[in-house]
Amino acid sequence: MNEVRLTTRKWKWIGLLVITFAAAGLLSPWASSHPDGLERVAEDHGFLQQAGTVHEWAPIPDYEVAGIPWTVLRIGLAGVIGSVIMMAILWGALRSFTRIRRENDAGTNHGEEG
Amino acid sequence: MHIPDGFLDAKTWMTTTAVGAAAVSYSLKKTKLTISSKQVPMVALIGSFVFAAQMLNFPIAGATSGHFLGGTLTSILFGPWIGSIVMASVLIIQALIFQDGGITVLGANILCTGFIGCFVGYCVYRAGMRLLAGKGRILITFLAAWLSIVAASAGVALLLAWSGTFGLGTALKAMIGWHMLIGIGEGLITTLVTGYLFERNTSLIRGVTSP
Repeated sequence: MNEVRLTTRKWKWIGLLVITFAAAGLLSPWASSHPDGLERVAEDHGFLQQAGTVHEWAPIPDYEVAGIPWTVLRIGLAGVIGSVIMMAILWGALRSFTRIRRENDAGTNHGEEG
Repeated sequence: MHIPDGFLDAKTWMTTTAVGAAAVSYSLKKTKLTISSKQVPMVALIGSFVFAAQMLNFPIAGATSGHFLGGTLTSILFGPWIGSIVMASVLIIQALIFQDGGITVLGANILCTGFIGCFVGYCVYRAGMRLLAGKGRILITFLAAWLSIVAASAGVALLLAWSGTFGLGTALKAMIGWHMLIGIGEGLITTLVTGYLFERNTSLIRGVTSP
């Protein structure tokens, strides 16, 4: 029923990896700083000031790494760090799922620690 | 359209936190059953791409900005269960590490931009592919992604109205109005990336169509 499938060509995935890090590291400092759709609405309807933060300990608030004098680098580095974290967490978590399943299938379930 | 803390009242954020947590744990269960080890690096890379692309706000009409969300993209590529897990992970990382989107409203954000985005996008895409028997993929992909943003913004409007922040009619009109424009970006990026990553399935003989 599917007449298309995900490509298995390695260069395409490597290309996407390059695009990802170019976007996160090089393009992100030039993103628009206009309020986003929801902020726009909140401003127009007078409830933007209701916004607060309950989590004051974010290590990289507002996508800017503290202690670097150049804005471009502050934002670009935040983007790269975030992209690496995303990939690492998803890879680790999903790999543990497939491993647990394989152990279950083999009838040697050693628990959930994966 | 990440909701910050303070926009939703206690009953709304508590309810959405509970429903959001239940939805994520169900999605996790589904993902555990279906994901293959070959998919793992691809899903991880797409998650990373979604995070990066979400940083790139594009200006709209000089008044606002929008950015890609990715629910439709991840769901077309991997199905809505894996898609919603990717979206939830992105939102959690954004809230915890980058202070983008609140903590009390994390469940609300996961439900709106995660689940609504993924399932609306996926259902429209599937229905469109079936209806047109596999033709017009580009157009259907664009429409699915665009609608997913509009639906997600309607979800946020509903929650804002339920919180008593402002009236339902005004909330819907304002949110949907802007996101009909922002959704165009979602449609373009989703269409480009799926076009780049999909290839003709050569294991199928041409002429065989789905029932």
